[in-house]
Amino acid sequence: MKLPALLRLSPRFAPYALLSPFVALFLLFGVFPLGFSLYLAFQTWEPTGGLRAMEFVGFDNYAFILSDEWFWKSLQNTLWLALVSGVPQHLIAIPLAYFIHSSFKRMRNAVVGAYFMPYITSTVAIAILFSSLFSTDYGLINAGLRTLSQLPIVGGLFSGNSVDWLNDPARIKPAISMLVFWRYVGFNVVLYLAALQTIPKDIYEAATMDGAGRLQQFWFITLPSLRPMIFFGVTLSVIGGLQLFEEPFILTDGRGGTDQAGMTTAIYLYRMAFDFNDFGAASAMSWLLFILVALMTWLTNRAFRSPEARSR
Amino acid sequence: MPSQAPSGYWIRTVRWCLTVAGIGLTLLSAQAQTVLTVAAYPAVDEIVRAAIPFWKKAHPGVDIKVVSRQLNDHHIAMTTALSTASYLPDVMALEVGYVGRFAQGGGLEDLSLSPYSIRQLQGRYVQYAFQQANSRKGAVVAAPTDIGPGTLLYRADILSRAGVSEAAMTRSWDSFVDVGAQIKARTGAYLIAHARDLKDILIRTGIQPGEGLYFDDQSRVLVRSPRFVRAFALARQLRLQKLDAKVIAWSSEWSEGFKRGTIATQLSGAWLAGHLHNWLAPNTEGLWRAAQLPEGAYASYGGTFFAIPRGTAAANKQLAWEFIQFMTLNRDMQLSAFKTQDAFPALVETHDDPFFDQEIAFLGGQKARILWREAARRATALAVHKQDAFAEEVINTELDKVLEGGKDIFIALGDAERLLTQRAKR
Amino acid sequence: MKGTKMKTTTTHLAPWAAYGVVFVGALVMLAPFYFMFVFASHSRSEIFNLPPPIWFGDDLLVNLSILTQKIPFWRNLGLSLYVAVISTILTLLFCSMGGYAFALFEFRFKNALFGLVMATMLLPSFMNMIPTFMIMNLLGWIDEPRALYIPGAASAFGIFLMRQFVASSIPKDLVEAARMDGCSEIGIYWRIVLPLLKPALGTLGIITFIASWNNFIGPLIVMRSPEMYTLPLALRGLQNPVNTEWGALMTGSAIATLPLIVLFILSSRQLIAGLTAGAVK
Repeated sequence: MKLPALLRLSPRFAPYALLSPFVALFLLFGVFPLGFSLYLAFQTWEPTGGLRAMEFVGFDNYAFILSDEWFWKSLQNTLWLALVSGVPQHLIAIPLAYFIHSSFKRMRNAVVGAYFMPYITSTVAIAILFSSLFSTDYGLINAGLRTLSQLPIVGGLFSGNSVDWLNDPARIKPAISMLVFWRYVGFNVVLYLAALQTIPKDIYEAATMDGAGRLQQFWFITLPSLRPMIFFGVTLSVIGGLQLFEEPFILTDGRGGTDQAGMTTAIYLYRMAFDFNDFGAASAMSWLLFILVALMTWLTNRAFRSPEARSR
Repeated sequence: MPSQAPSGYWIRTVRWCLTVAGIGLTLLSAQAQTVLTVAAYPAVDEIVRAAIPFWKKAHPGVDIKVVSRQLNDHHIAMTTALSTASYLPDVMALEVGYVGRFAQGGGLEDLSLSPYSIRQLQGRYVQYAFQQANSRKGAVVAAPTDIGPGTLLYRADILSRAGVSEAAMTRSWDSFVDVGAQIKARTGAYLIAHARDLKDILIRTGIQPGEGLYFDDQSRVLVRSPRFVRAFALARQLRLQKLDAKVIAWSSEWSEGFKRGTIATQLSGAWLAGHLHNWLAPNTEGLWRAAQLPEGAYASYGGTFFAIPRGTAAANKQLAWEFIQFMTLNRDMQLSAFKTQDAFPALVETHDDPFFDQEIAFLGGQKARILWREAARRATALAVHKQDAFAEEVINTELDKVLEGGKDIFIALGDAERLLTQRAKR
Repeated sequence: MKGTKMKTTTTHLAPWAAYGVVFVGALVMLAPFYFMFVFASHSRSEIFNLPPPIWFGDDLLVNLSILTQKIPFWRNLGLSLYVAVISTILTLLFCSMGGYAFALFEFRFKNALFGLVMATMLLPSFMNMIPTFMIMNLLGWIDEPRALYIPGAASAFGIFLMRQFVASSIPKDLVEAARMDGCSEIGIYWRIVLPLLKPALGTLGIITFIASWNNFIGPLIVMRSPEMYTLPLALRGLQNPVNTEWGALMTGSAIATLPLIVLFILSSRQLIAGLTAGAVK
């Protein structure tokens, strides 16, 4: 089928044509908000006054944020949560994916499906569900823990008391981490499973014939082959973890919890804009967060790029 | 007459009639097409919808469209709309917690100016509610439609089992706490849901003129004043004596506390009685009573206002104002909202309606509305400050540290002051 | 020989334990869903009993009637579906074209542009609320579904994923050969690149569909009338700080999750199969 001459692109112009729909939308809905937010970071703005209410204040917003106790507290929370909810996801998803890949044939879809399901629920649905599950006196999680503490052998590990997940500052972080883990571990399993499919079986067979055990094969064949996908997955986790918003929002009802223990920087950002109506400071904060995320992404990049410097 | 004249005459007449008809139809259709958009949230949306038939009788050409969102979403959407002065409703419902913020912003019409001149109607509204919508510069940005007079709801049966009287409980805040100890000792029930509730009401007592809750009109931070110290001290004492159930309002533990009778009192708006009756704890019908807040305190919990955005089409503003008057100054509308949605009227002249003298079955036949009417008269408005929401959060955090971590009260308040001073002028 | 004998005895236990752990894990993953459906069949006060119900109740129809009375539920559901489908199609089209361009072509400003696209991924999306509203207002798209499915088509994540896949699974020589055979650029894209991208398209398609379905901040900004809400926003309408209809809300959430579950069950077989096909290159 010969296309009309108009549609025949030369290889030189092809990329521009292919990219134009994306770029058009991107400029409008990606770049403009970016620019607006950058502009706003240098203004003070109380939104209900309308656009004319903006006033230029230079770096005042940045100075304010950098000297704000809550900002630093939120950064601490964010880093803690990003690590504690992110690292186990990958540590568990990789062996899990490997196990599913090698040991499940017929049940594979069902098992992967079960792990992926949490990813598809909406924030609104999860909010009410998990608030109910984490409830101190009436929640099923505490009920489960109580039951576990009554078991003969392992019972000693669990105290019989109700854990105040949502209100105790020391417990809200683990609660959020559990929720994040539940939601995303399946996503990573799917990613790794996809990558595992691309490793040719012959390599494993050759290794088995050479006398390598399953563990050795995993360490020396699987993991290195998974490197690109681990890089991809970890990058996503870094970005997502540093921008953690939905899960803490759900469990702390948008407030960040007692003593702001569950307040990530993204939540503080949101509150700054919509609860405290200080859009200038919020924009400044979002750019500071941006710098942090960019930095961490770049570091992740470096960590994965240099083969010699790979630390474990 | 010449034979031409009749047809010419008729043609002119017909043309004249058509023109008049045309103009008339245009006017009529223009009238019929006027739609006022009212943005609200549950249950205000129900109140507005219920009022539409009555409105249309008085204003047949004006239709009302209600855009309703969940409470927080509504205010976010309103903030967004105001920020760009587009897609604004003609009438905006605002909850009292947001009125202060929106008042400072300058995006709402000043109703004290002509053609609204709401100050001429000032006396018809409950005073504190009216003043709540005043901005720093003296503009009146909204009209109150319903209020939440503060009250002390208590379980009369628990009190009698503990052998204490209502008078002993409400004499002073200290006696309130003492009564709590007796209730705990003799019945095992908690006095209140959370020590924070006590703190909240105590910091609202003894406010000097020119002072807001956390800041004064010069944006000086007030959190080290005696009322805060007393609030924290009493709250701590309450907690040390284990008199509060440590449950947060509206959580499932809180509602269970009511159902099971483990919480003896709740300081709240009068509307809580309705909720308890409807769904929170209908099994406790007849066991509750209402009293004024202890030590002669009068406060308000909640309230709804109607405002007109400045960016609304000028043609609609007059109609919007008429609608607001209809909802807030019409006796029948205010009373019907009260009767169906438990929205305590902000219109003073409704307060002599026999409905107020009715016995409330849930409260064991008590004529509580008389009490609440009195509370509404005596409550005072609080000047609002832009950083109030943040200050509330900071104070709550410090209180938690005092209650849970044993932090010293003066250090806690000092830390709070430091945090707040940093942003007081933003 | 001795070594293998020892290995067989130890590997007898390990797989069983491993299977067990995996199954228990799967149950833990699914448990909240189970409870969502259980709670959907109970009335508001029953949900907050102690202990909470763990088996189905009989209030499902009651909840359903409350649900449909309070919000135009079925219309919202239909709208969610419509927006999600179109959003997915557009995203797949634009991002695959863009990813292909980034991966296999050289052109000016390529790296700068890609960097800029990645940069937008690093900014929290709700900061875009007001500028997005401004644009929608200008375009006159407020209260229109297109305000939902058009912006999303420029997904930074989508183009990132597509670029990765194209770079790793489509050899440049294949494209060169097709070019030399006289195939047009569009033809190369449509008949060679796109079919090879099937697994990635499947993954991105599912992720986009889910994101669109669950998107709640977008509709909050651009939709004004309840008839134009999508599901998450509509369900929020049942949430009142003071008087939430928990039972109806659970029912609504359960029904809202069903299409996603169905979609995933239907496509997972194809998805995994597509991934397997990708392995046999």
